[in-house]
Amino acid sequence: MDTLTIAATGRTPGVAFDFPAGQLRLTGESYPDDVATFFGPIFTALRDYLAVPGHTPIRFDMELLYFNSSSAKALMNIFQMLEAVAKAGRPVAVVWSHEEGDESMRELGEDFAEDLRHVAFSLREVPIGGIG
Amino acid sequence: MLAQQYAAIKRDLDGKGIIFSFSGYLSEGILYSLGEALREKMTMEEADGPTVRRVFSVFVEQMQNIIRYSAEKVTGTSSRSVELSAGMVTIGMERGKVFIVCGNTVLNADVPRLKERLDHLRGLDREGIKSYYREQLREEPEDGSRGATIGLIEIARRASEPIDYDFDPMDGERSFFCLKVRI
Repeated sequence: MDTLTIAATGRTPGVAFDFPAGQLRLTGESYPDDVATFFGPIFTALRDYLAVPGHTPIRFDMELLYFNSSSAKALMNIFQMLEAVAKAGRPVAVVWSHEEGDESMRELGEDFAEDLRHVAFSLREVPIGGIG
Repeated sequence: MLAQQYAAIKRDLDGKGIIFSFSGYLSEGILYSLGEALREKMTMEEADGPTVRRVFSVFVEQMQNIIRYSAEKVTGTSSRSVELSAGMVTIGMERGKVFIVCGNTVLNADVPRLKERLDHLRGLDREGIKSYYREQLREEPEDGSRGATIGLIEIARRASEPIDYDFDPMDGERSFFCLKVRI
């Protein structure tokens, strides 16, 4: 699979995974009525992609404006997959964007970053209206 | 008579500072619609984005707790997995703060475990809640919980005061559970 593109809806994020370029991006908001159904295909595509050894650096842009606690678990799952390939030697960067003044989202970024040893994690503050 | 009865209910709600109130069967669809109305109302009142999202976050977690754990629910047949769960949700303003109260029926057998979780959360300070969240984020969900613990932590984290809860026994099997969160 070369790309995984899912258009955002009112309650599910926009997904733009360009696998050959190593560019992965989540945008919008995430509080699906059924988290497993929404994230299932995303996990599968990502797992298949990461299973093939490669040297292309991976960059994951986390640009969600809001996510609920069940989505948090799903995101953690994605981060753990990325950490595993980073540990095996592939360069992986995660850029966690949050709006200016959104302390909750910044703090969540720190919560997720806590376990990342091999992934290069950075927080990016963007002006209001700059993401989502 | 009709208008009088309902006007009395409305006055009572207005008097308590209640902006929205819904009682009956809740579903993910209702969560979405009420959530949109809540955000529009707050945005009209010029609340900033992070504040709106903090209130919205508590609202979503509270609603999903009812939808998933209400002891009074109707589940759709195999092809359509609709869950209609009885409960109530009330959003209002009190001393300049938004509050959300949710209520639903729970089984008495589940009360001790729920109480234990809520008391544990009430006993934690901001830092304690934060590290509890981090810990739970990495845990596999307990059987049958569908992520209830992290949902409650998320609620406690966005609240500006310790969460309030209460149980009202209904009969030998069930109690009415109420959770009040000030944001």
